[in-house]
Amino acid sequence: MKIIKQIGIIFSVCWISMVIEEFFPGIFPASIIGMILLFFCLAAGILKIEHIQEKADFLLENMSFFFIPAGVSIINYLDILENALVQLIVICAVSTVITFVVTAYTVTFTMRLLRRRKKS
Amino acid sequence: MKELFASPYFGVALSVITFGIGVKLNQKLKTPICNPLIIAIVLTSGVLLVFGIPYESYNAGGEIINMFLAPATACLAVAIYTKRQILREYWLPILTGCAAGSAASMASVYLMCRLFGLDDSLTVSLLPKSVTTPIAVSIAEPAGGVVPITVVAVIGTGILGGILAPFLIKLFHITDPVAAGLAIGASSHAVGTSKAIEIGEVEGAMSGLAIGICGIITVLFSMLIRL
Repeated sequence: MKIIKQIGIIFSVCWISMVIEEFFPGIFPASIIGMILLFFCLAAGILKIEHIQEKADFLLENMSFFFIPAGVSIINYLDILENALVQLIVICAVSTVITFVVTAYTVTFTMRLLRRRKKS
Repeated sequence: MKELFASPYFGVALSVITFGIGVKLNQKLKTPICNPLIIAIVLTSGVLLVFGIPYESYNAGGEIINMFLAPATACLAVAIYTKRQILREYWLPILTGCAAGSAASMASVYLMCRLFGLDDSLTVSLLPKSVTTPIAVSIAEPAGGVVPITVVAVIGTGILGGILAPFLIKLFHITDPVAAGLAIGASSHAVGTSKAIEIGEVEGAMSGLAIGICGIITVLFSMLIRL
């Protein structure tokens, strides 16, 4: 019953976020609204973490499993993959390095500023 | 015989079996290249192609698995919530780092897509490729992207980031564990985070936080672009 209740809570949050998306189209995708809504419920104390812990852990730990069908549908688009494979690999590799370096240096710089301000 | 493959049981069972093989291989070989999801996608696609089973038949089960995507995305909130103490303490470096990283990711992808002359739908599919799969898909799909391309690009990025992270930390002299952790999370989401956890506790926690924060920031940026 515990798990059923947790599924009920999380699925309700998802359904409510679809309702919100319906009434305010174009703000956020429903799944992001669900994420914000769930965070708000936890932060405001409407939901306690114990209410959803096991089900949330189950979903988070097995997250990648739920993407198998989305990934398998690549077999309907093999022509795109064939035509642009090299470009795709280059784009992924280069932008991964750029993102890493920009984030790391921005954080290092911010931390240094904060430390300097603390000292003075 | 054909209608047997169109039963939802077939699609779900095939996905579970191939994912199980992927997880086992990943535990045995302990290399990020053996990502369980990639192995499952390749094996499942292989079975469908070899036996001539149409994707639609497989997808009867696939749709049931898809149903869990939105709930799983919502639960990223739980991952952020359990780390709220660190978030409060380091909110400024987390916010500036994730914002700069997300902007750099999207800008570099956009420029290279234009450079290579890729069409709009491919560009949109690749734009959110540095954030975690559920958020990337929910950005790419309504904008007219090709979802499986997004999924493959996101996982490919994660695998690459996981492999490169230790070298990049040395190459660019990243001494601050907060900076290293956030950089790993921002550039290679959940797949990179498992590597960050191996590197250190602070790195792991920061990388985990960056997944959700970069996701939300990337959603905001993609909305701004559309306006």
